[in-house]
Formats: sequence, C-alpha cells, structure tokens
Amino acid sequence: MLGFAAALGAWHLTTAVLRLPLFERITPPVTVFREWFNRTPAFGVSLFTPVYYEHIAYSVYRAYTAFFLAVLLGVPIGLLMGWRQRVYRFTFPLLETLRPIPPLAWVPLAILILPGIEPPVIYVTFIAAFFATVLNTLLGVLSIDRSYFRAAECLGFSPRNVLVHVVVPGAMPFIFTGLQIAMGLSWFALVAGEMIAGRRGLGYMIFDAYNMAQIPTIIMGMLTLGLLGYTSSALVRRLGRALMAWRGV
Amino acid sequence: MGDLARLARSAAVWQGLAGIALFLALWQVGGALHLPMLRHVPTPLEVLIQLATQVHSRQYWQSWYVSGQRVFLGYVIGVGLGVPLGLAMGMSRTFHSASFPLVEVLRPIPPLAWVPLSILFWPTMEQTIVSIIFLGAFFTVVLNVLGGVEAIDVNYRRAALSMGARPWHLFWKIVLPATSPSIFTGMAVGMGLTWEIVVAAEMIASIQAGLGFMMWQAYVGGNIALIIVSMASIGLAGLLSSGLIWMLGRRLTPWLRRT
Repeated sequence: MLGFAAALGAWHLTTAVLRLPLFERITPPVTVFREWFNRTPAFGVSLFTPVYYEHIAYSVYRAYTAFFLAVLLGVPIGLLMGWRQRVYRFTFPLLETLRPIPPLAWVPLAILILPGIEPPVIYVTFIAAFFATVLNTLLGVLSIDRSYFRAAECLGFSPRNVLVHVVVPGAMPFIFTGLQIAMGLSWFALVAGEMIAGRRGLGYMIFDAYNMAQIPTIIMGMLTLGLLGYTSSALVRRLGRALMAWRGV
Repeated sequence: MGDLARLARSAAVWQGLAGIALFLALWQVGGALHLPMLRHVPTPLEVLIQLATQVHSRQYWQSWYVSGQRVFLGYVIGVGLGVPLGLAMGMSRTFHSASFPLVEVLRPIPPLAWVPLSILFWPTMEQTIVSIIFLGAFFTVVLNVLGGVEAIDVNYRRAALSMGARPWHLFWKIVLPATSPSIFTGMAVGMGLTWEIVVAAEMIASIQAGLGFMMWQAYVGGNIALIIVSMASIGLAGLLSSGLIWMLGRRLTPWLRRT
C-alpha cells in the first residue's frame, strides 16, 4: 500500500506541485480521477458511460481467447520439445527463427490472410502468448534434474508415467512463470494490435484519445489496462499456487 | 574455423535446418497450389528475390543500425536496473512489500500503451522509443529474477544460516548462483520483447527510420514481399541477440547440464 501511495504522491508532486520541465504536459492525478468518476465526462469516457465498458469487453474477450488458445497449444508443444530430444532438435531452430518476429509485424499479413477484424487482432495476441508459453515450458522441462529421469527409468516407468510424474510436475513452476509472462504479453500485443488495427477496445481508446489530445482519457485507459492485466496475472498466479501445493509458497 | 567445422558436422544443426526447410517447402508448395490462406502471400522464392535487392540498398542496413541502437540502449538500461531490483525484492521482505505492489501496478500496463504518454513526456521521439524498450525489458527481467529467488529451496538458506552465514554470503553463495538461470531466462525473453517493441513503437510513433518504419512503409505501399523481408530481418536480429544472451548464460552457468 505504501508503494501505491508513494507513486501517487510522486505523480501529484511532479505534475501539480513542482511542475518539473518534462512533466508539464502530463495531467495530475486529481484531474484524471475527476474525469474517471464523472457522470458527464468532458471527453466522453468515464465509469458512467457504456462506451467505456464496451471497450473493456472487447479487449477482455480478445485477450482471453488468444491466451487460452496459446496455453492449449503451447504447453503440450513445450513439454514435448523439452522431453523428446529429437523433437527439440528439429523444431527449436524453427521456433527461435519465428519467435523473435514481433507479433505486431504479423499485423499487415494477418489482415491480408484472415477475414474480418477480430481474427487478425486475436491472431496477433495469440502469437505473442504462444511463444512465451512454449519457451518457458521447454525451459521448465530442461531444468528438471536428469537423475529424476534415470530414477524413473530404473523403476520401470512407462513414458506416460514419466510425463505425468516427472515432466509435468517438474516443469510446473516454469510453466506458470511462462503463463504469467504470456498473460502480460497477450495484453501487450493486444493493445498495440488495437492501436494499429482495432476499431474498439482499450488500445484503440488510448490511441484515439491521443489523436484528440485527451490526456486524462489516455491515462484512464492505461490504468484500466493495468488493472485488467493485474487481475489476469493474479488469477494465473492463484491457479499456479493451487496446483503446486507441495511448494507451500 | 575449428568451431565452424564441428558445427557443420553436428547432427543437431542439420536437423534444425531440416525443420526450417520443411516449413519453407510447405509454404512454397502452398503458394503454388493457391491455397486460400496464402492467396496474397508471396512465395519464399519471391521473398528471397526481394531480399537480394534489399541487401544492396543502403537504407536497409541503415534501418538495421538505427533499430539495433535503440534496442541496445533500452535493453542495457532495463537489465542494468532490473536485475539488482529483482534480487533486492527477492532477498528483502520489507523491500518486497514496499515495491512489489507498485511493480505489479505498472507492469501490466503494456509498454506500447505508454507510447502516447511518452511522446508527450519526452522531448524527442528517440527518447520515447528507448524508454518504451526499457520498460519492456525491465519488467520482464524483474519478474524472472524475483521468481528465481523465490524458487530457491528454503533449506539452502536455513543450512547456510545455521552455519553462521552473513547476508552477504547468502547473496554470493546461494542467491546469485541459484538465480542466474532465471536471470538469463529473463534476459532472453526480454531481448525478444525489445525487438517486438522497437518495431511496434516505430510503426505507431511513425518515426523516420528503423526496421519497423521500413515495414510500415512496405505495408502502406502494398509491397508484401518487403513486409516479409522486414519480418525476417527482425526475426534474424532477435535470433542473433537472443543467441548471444543464451551463449553468455551457458558460459556463466557451466554447472547446469544442458542437452
């Protein structure tokens, strides 16, 4: 809580009280919150306008669709790559070639290949979350002590049992780090995708506000995104904690 | 030279190339068959021809240089601040509870959502882009380092403490070695992220140079082959940079057995 207060204080101090040279064009917190909680907002977006919730609904829908698709595909692929050396050798270089291609570099192509407005934005978001999930899952499997595999073999584990009792639990901490990053990346790519290609959503709202020089609305959008992102990663973290009870964090 | 020869003889390299070749072949064949998804997409050969012409243009290499410079600057600052902060947050409970909420509030704000505000904040576009890259690298590194410290088995700490270790010993003998894999994971993921950000920021902020700008121009001009060349260039740039990080990580954590 102290961290929050300090940040708010610094924001207020730099913009409203001291008016430091770089900060002169940033709106002080009071103005932003007054706009946010206003029934008749000066720039048309606040807690009391339906359009605000419409933007949120669109962004949430896109982010979660892409995230779940990425997890559904990324975790199994990552496990397989880490577990089977042959799969790793054939696919890792390809993964590493495609992975650094920024999701946003896919925007023009996605628009050309995929029909409509939603699929390109969701695809771009998916790409971002997918690679983070695969990479972290893979690293998780690689981080498992080799002796566990040898022990499992000595005990005559079937491949299925190795997967269930060694690979998955061993990689679990990394997987959930990966999912948290993937969740963050989903929002990251989503916002940029919406800025470039979207017609609705919070990213579009921010960029639209920027073009109209409505700074309170920009900050409102950023804080809303932060809140949504925080809630999302908190959910992922809680799930991780529930599934990894043995670590007793 | 010896290294190169050994590399050429290793099966792993050829298998990796085979994976990539298969992907390209599927793409080429798909284009030749006029699959609906690939209708507007040039084949790998056409992209290659485009690449051949680009390699001779000064502007292409200028784009590499400009984007690379931005990435390097933002990344170095991000890692330089992120690693110590993550370690401090992992080691000190007080510092953790004071700063973690703040990090958690700012981190989920996607770096690119900062672009409009940064443009207003920083006097030059160059500073805007570097600051956005910094944000991306910084939070990724902090989160990974923190996760690494928290993943350390408590018994190591207890054992060290019961043998009379000072906090400084804990740091050098336990926390830093145990966390270094996470540090390098964070650095590698952060490196991938910086290339994403530089390109997107260059597209959104409409700055007059860089690979992202080149791609945006190609998009506006309808030159799809050049779009793909840009994508591949950025991919290559990211591959080289993250390869560098992995190499560094492997050298500095020799006790981790890798396949």
